[in-house]
Amino acid sequence: MNTLIFGLLTIISVFIFMKLGKIKASKKQLNRNDRINWARNKKPNFDEENYNTKIPEEKNKQINDQSEK
Amino acid sequence: MSKHSALNTFGRSGNPAFTRNFEQVGAIPELERMTLDGAVNKTAILLCLCFAGAFIGWNSPALTMPALIIGTILSFITIFRSPSKAGSTAPFYAAFQGVALGGITVFAEMQYPGIGIQAIGLTFGILASLLFCYKSGIIKPTENFRLMIFSATMGIALLYLVSFVMSFFGSGIGFIHSNGLFGIGFSLFVVGIAALNLVLDFDFIEEGAEQGLPKHMEWYGAFSLMVTLVWLYIEILRLLMKLRSR
Repeated sequence: MNTLIFGLLTIISVFIFMKLGKIKASKKQLNRNDRINWARNKKPNFDEENYNTKIPEEKNKQINDQSEK
Repeated sequence: MSKHSALNTFGRSGNPAFTRNFEQVGAIPELERMTLDGAVNKTAILLCLCFAGAFIGWNSPALTMPALIIGTILSFITIFRSPSKAGSTAPFYAAFQGVALGGITVFAEMQYPGIGIQAIGLTFGILASLLFCYKSGIIKPTENFRLMIFSATMGIALLYLVSFVMSFFGSGIGFIHSNGLFGIGFSLFVVGIAALNLVLDFDFIEEGAEQGLPKHMEWYGAFSLMVTLVWLYIEILRLLMKLRSR
């Protein structure tokens, strides 16, 4: 009986892990300001804010250059 | 005043398993990025290898000590080497630790029949329930939470190390191994800390997948989860042995 109960518990738990593990965490979990910053050592090779603001500037410059010609 | 005043006072966690891993993010193609599916599948592979190793250890308990030593060395290699090579060492770690756990379980079963399946059931039960708590947002890991768990884990490791060294001189820290109330309370505390380490592993994997880390970090995340599960299983086994010996 002992083996049956704990054996079933093991199988059900592994099944839950396999199914639930692949689902993204809830918004309540992900959209927080106090999340752990695992990326604190991330190298600054991709600055999203600057990237987004630089593109229109570059395009404007090109358009102005062409119009001057 | 900063929100994380404890972090400002004592500094951030230096756990090598959780640092220097978020690199090269941004320029990685979609197919070469870490995913939740990948990390879970790799954990399943490691678990299968661990169970296969446990089958060998169960039938040949003499292999317990060598497997334990090799497994420990492999875990240090995986942690301190580049995470990109975790895929080559983590499967061997799982297999060797499996052999060691199989042997340890045989010794425990000889004293207390049926204790092995109880420990396995409780370990996976804790894994599933904590995963549910994490995914649903019931448990929310923060920087202070990490600092607290890391400090407690290091404290326990230091205590075990001191006890191990003292055992060479014929003494030891008695309450760690006693089956009295204090000994059981200590084991419960250690099981709690080991279980909460699982939450940190879940968060590491979740954020890794969210940030689109390189594919090899799936192996690293699975390895972190495996290390915690092995520790949790051993601590639950010790707790059950203490309870049964009363």
